[in-house]
Amino acid sequence: MSRFLEVEGMTAGYGAVTVLRNISLYVDHGENVGLFGPNGHGKTTLLRTLSGLMRAAMGKVRFDGQDISRARPWEIVGLGMVQAQQGNTLFGEMEIAETLELAAFNRRAREKAAANLDRIYTLFPRLAERKRQKAKTLSGGERQMLSIGAALMCAPRLLLLDEPTLGLSPRLKEELAEALRAISQDVPLVVVEQDVELLLALSNRLYLIEHGEVQREIGKDNAPDHQEIMDMYFGEHA
Amino acid sequence: MTRASLLFGGLLVLAVIPLFVQDSYTRHLFILAFIYAVIASNWDLSLGYAGLFNFGHLVFFATGVYTVAIAAKTLGISPWLAIPMSGVTAAIAGLIVSAPVARLKGIYVVLVTFAFGQLVLQLILSQSHLTGGAEGMVRIPYLQIGDYKFISDFKLGYYYVALGLLIVSTLYLLWVTNSTFGKSLLAVRDNEDYARARGIWITRQRVLVLTLSAIFPGVAGGFFAAYLRVASPEVLSFGTLSLALSMVLIGGAGTIIGPIIAAFLLIFATEAMAGIRGMEDARFLIVAIGMILVLRFAPGGLAQLVRAPRKKP
Amino acid sequence: MDTLISTLLSGVVLGALYALMASGLSLVWTTLGVFNFAHGALMTIGAFVAWTVSEAVGLGLPAGVVAGVASAALLGVVVEYLLIRPFYGRPNMLLITVMTTLAGMIILEKGAQMIWGARLKQLPRLIDGEVSIFGAVISAHEALIIVVAPLILLALWQFTTRTYLGRSLRAVGQNQDAAALLGINVSFTFALAFGLGAALAGLTGVLLGGIRFITPSLGAEPLVKAMIVVIFGGLGSLGATVGAAFVIGLAEAFLVLTLGLYWTPFALFLGLIAVLIFRPNGLFGRV
Ligand SMILES: Nc1ncnc2c1ncn2[C@@H]1O[C@H](COP(=O)(O)OP(=O)(O)OP(=O)(O)O)[C@@H](O)[C@H]1O
Ligand SMILES: [Mg+2]
Repeated sequence: MSRFLEVEGMTAGYGAVTVLRNISLYVDHGENVGLFGPNGHGKTTLLRTLSGLMRAAMGKVRFDGQDISRARPWEIVGLGMVQAQQGNTLFGEMEIAETLELAAFNRRAREKAAANLDRIYTLFPRLAERKRQKAKTLSGGERQMLSIGAALMCAPRLLLLDEPTLGLSPRLKEELAEALRAISQDVPLVVVEQDVELLLALSNRLYLIEHGEVQREIGKDNAPDHQEIMDMYFGEHA
Repeated sequence: MTRASLLFGGLLVLAVIPLFVQDSYTRHLFILAFIYAVIASNWDLSLGYAGLFNFGHLVFFATGVYTVAIAAKTLGISPWLAIPMSGVTAAIAGLIVSAPVARLKGIYVVLVTFAFGQLVLQLILSQSHLTGGAEGMVRIPYLQIGDYKFISDFKLGYYYVALGLLIVSTLYLLWVTNSTFGKSLLAVRDNEDYARARGIWITRQRVLVLTLSAIFPGVAGGFFAAYLRVASPEVLSFGTLSLALSMVLIGGAGTIIGPIIAAFLLIFATEAMAGIRGMEDARFLIVAIGMILVLRFAPGGLAQLVRAPRKKP
Repeated sequence: MDTLISTLLSGVVLGALYALMASGLSLVWTTLGVFNFAHGALMTIGAFVAWTVSEAVGLGLPAGVVAGVASAALLGVVVEYLLIRPFYGRPNMLLITVMTTLAGMIILEKGAQMIWGARLKQLPRLIDGEVSIFGAVISAHEALIIVVAPLILLALWQFTTRTYLGRSLRAVGQNQDAAALLGINVSFTFALAFGLGAALAGLTGVLLGGIRFITPSLGAEPLVKAMIVVIFGGLGSLGATVGAAFVIGLAEAFLVLTLGLYWTPFALFLGLIAVLIFRPNGLFGRV
């Protein structure tokens, strides 16, 4: 059987600027994969390209056996690959409940909408308390929760998370981390995360992305120690 | 070919054309082209250089037309005096429209200037005791010196006055765009925040640019009234607006010279089409399609195509 | 007293028409960030097609109304496809699309003139007869406008706040990338917004065609009024647009009463300038 997600030789960028060079990686059925690397080295660009928000100049992306290199974002969501963006505020003028209801947009998601909504309100009680509050008035942490909640409403079969705990206070971060651990139990994840502990807790395998390339693949068998990973984060890795 | 030599060569050709072109219809087309060239190139000052979308630009022209119509016909002032006066009244119109526009942003500039044009049109239509309303005004006093009528010798006098007007207007535009003020316009257009941080006073700049871009279209309007001897609200129609706008866009915004060349192309092309039966209405339609195609495939206008391709950023 | 009430009524009729017209503009603006100058011309086409189907072909008024609204909607989608879509992502898209839709307006207007000619045409009124309201008499057609416009606007509001499709319009307007990542087909949404906006324009045209003569430039004056409305109300929200439409409609009616038909547009513009000097984002617009 083929891999769940497979990226082959992807090159992408903005206009004349190439950000990603020849990226190849994969996600197998039943595993969670973490991406990490120094700031500005292309992790967000990689996820945006996977979701179809930008088109790769070269390379192939296969999801669940289908070529999605040229697919459009809504088609990719329809197939079940869903992303919660980095630092996204979603729709400032919309209320929480409205946003979550809207997020179950495609047919597959709509069938599971009621169940998913319950689950999200259980995972994030803060959202349940603020159903009628507009997104623009939410705190940073609440926005992250809404963003992840909306992605869950799309009934993901693979969830891409871009720095879900960025800029949160330790307390909120812990709250969110707990929810993420719960989510990772039943939805496969590809997660970009700065917090090493959380990243290791969430994922089975890691890729180090540096200068827009896959510098290293880290599995359970070749796991480096904590300090070594910290060094890689800050670009000490040559 | 540099811009200066292009200008000089063009000027020379235009100056000797009456030697070869003796029929008054062709000369009429040249005169129209000169007038539209003045309108379009001055529009380029606000639109291309300042990035300010003044969709009421033709109000300046209309102000000139009605200034001469009213001053010369109703008040009996010599058209020789009334024509320069229309530069002043148009500048005042520029000042007036700049009051609400100076602080607005983006689409609101377009909306307000567009509405301004429409409402001046309403004013002209409603004040028929002054302006003649929808019928307009006819038999406006013409240009003459002593007994010599400028219409005689196949419009020879009008030809050279119009050409002179275009030359003076173009020199003026080149002077403005090459001044420090002109440079600061580009700075603001390309990066408003940066320009603001450098201490460029944007409100003042917009007031100035609208006023400066009004003067010559006003004079051209005044001349137009004395030449055709009619003043009609048609000058504020969507058709005229889109024709002048397409000159700026097809010629290439921000080049001054591009809109002038496009004015010649479009005047002769639309007049040629008007000669074909059934094309009277279709010609504006064709110009509009041309405008869309240029925006789509040559966003810098024809000037960009002619010019050596710039290095990609 | 009678003049007061009849002025009030004519102000409400105007307000209702402006609200229909301006809400279409505002819908397109909030979804795509495009100001559609061809909006008035789409209205004209709607009225002409309704006339052709109802009068020239003789299929009757209901068929004419449906055909007029549908053809405007269809043309709206075409306008989006040809004049807007090629320019997405251009840095100065806002201003480019102003010019392309302006060109679109010319094309539709001149096209209408070539197809239907300059001769005046008029649609029959949707209902005959007159209605007396507090002693003032207006035509039943105008009374219908007063009733229908708010209903349509209410339906539009329900649509954009209650349904998946309607909410997707608002979502795309606020954050395109995020909407796409929820599985919303952004380009379809754009076409939908344009089609709906144009349908509203077509409906306005059909309603207006029973009051005024249908000419190729029928839409020009309502477009300018709708522009005044959106300047006044700010382009942001449907509520503000509708509110501003009725304010302008009533102001216009009372200005006509006090200053006369000729000075009214001028007074409106002066008022507008005053508003903009103090509130550059419109009277109801958020700063
Ligand atoms: N819209 C854009 N246009 C041009 N360059 C961009 C754009 N967005 C990102 N970049 C550049 O692409 C590179 C990679 O950015 P990206 O956001 O993918 O990095 P990242 O690894 O996600 O960083 P971080 O950890 O800070 O989120 C950076 O150099 C960035 O400046
Ligand atoms: Mg990132």
